Amino acid sequence: MEKAFTYTNVIKTFPDFKLGPLDLDLEPGTVLGFVGPNGAGKTTTIHCLVGLLRADSGEMTVFGRSNNLNKADWKLDIGYVGEIHVFYERWNGHQNLNFLSQFYPNWSPERASALAKRFNLPLDKRAKDLSTGNRVKLSLVAALAHSPRLLLLDEPTSGIDPVVREEVLDVLFEVLETGDRAIFYATHILPEISRLADELAFIDHGQVWFRTPKEDLTEKWRKIYFTLARDDVSLAAIVCHEREGDRHQVVCSDCASTLVQLKELGAGNIQENPMSIEEIAVQILKGGRYVEAD
Amino acid sequence: MLLHLTDLSAEPLQAQIIRQIRAKILAGELSAGADLPSIRRFAREHHISVITVQRAYEGLEREGLIHSRRGKGFFVSQITERTKKMMAKEKLHDSLQPGIEDALAEGLDKEEVKNVIQTLLDTVTAKK
Repeated sequence: MEKAFTYTNVIKTFPDFKLGPLDLDLEPGTVLGFVGPNGAGKTTTIHCLVGLLRADSGEMTVFGRSNNLNKADWKLDIGYVGEIHVFYERWNGHQNLNFLSQFYPNWSPERASALAKRFNLPLDKRAKDLSTGNRVKLSLVAALAHSPRLLLLDEPTSGIDPVVREEVLDVLFEVLETGDRAIFYATHILPEISRLADELAFIDHGQVWFRTPKEDLTEKWRKIYFTLARDDVSLAAIVCHEREGDRHQVVCSDCASTLVQLKELGAGNIQENPMSIEEIAVQILKGGRYVEAD
Repeated sequence: MLLHLTDLSAEPLQAQIIRQIRAKILAGELSAGADLPSIRRFAREHHISVITVQRAYEGLEREGLIHSRRGKGFFVSQITERTKKMMAKEKLHDSLQPGIEDALAEGLDKEEVKNVIQTLLDTVTAKK
């Protein structure tokens, strides 16, 4: 199947920051969570794909079409919600949506008003009078009204209340049900995507250095407690190791192999506890360059 | 399908799904031939990722509890009473073991453990 998007060797340089060389792609029907600290390069990555930034070099495609900045047809497949919400400030929601609708042949005014209703968004208010949360909602309605095959979401739920956030997630799950849509979801808040995402890609300092099915993380990572009265305890695939006398606590990225090692070393009272996606992500992001054990 | 899935448990979502559907099948609440929701519908209804559901279904398939038919989805398999009993025993075994190990470590002897189990069994069956 055609990829929802591809980045090949994409580089974008700023005086104080360099993104890439970046290689990344996304299969239709899946959700890729794009996780990294503030300033890691998440927004730059998305801006290059949607054409808000011109990459220095490299190739990008959206459903097989190159993101040629002089030709806009590939943009019809994209719904984008960024951190900045650009509207005609003196127009109300209806007028802004009407204006946008003329660029998208697939735009459905019915879908737009149904979404506005679900998000509890007043469309008769002028954009400049909308609260932060309502501006986010208007962006979401605008991004979803033409039923795009690729959704690019950059911290889309920042500033909206929990009830509406749940409604937004509900809409995203509906979008996914057909199986031909893809979502690329950048955030630094893990709980938001820990349920939605199929895969996670970790970015830091402009480099995507780790990508994995989410389930592999929860299956392989464990916190293990054990006792071992030896000074020279060295274990492979260990991310964090604390000890108090002969009691140890380790975080490991490949539980099965760690358990084998511990048995060989003669460790006692071994207890393993699963870790949440959030805990694992924090360990990965704290641990700097994490290399997967094979 | 009504399941209790929570992020607050140490048990991964995938394992929660497997355990709860297995229990429904063993209890006869889901009978042989019954169809399960499609992976994507399940994901949407319970707000979890497609891959989580897919892996849970694969897990149940490996246990022989469900099977897939190409293009039709997933169905509950025919399971003999003997297999059902075996699985129920295995489950009981797994849930009792840590408790018994703890009890022995805490100084109860074999006879005392047996008595506790016997009393518990009597109380539970008397209630029913």
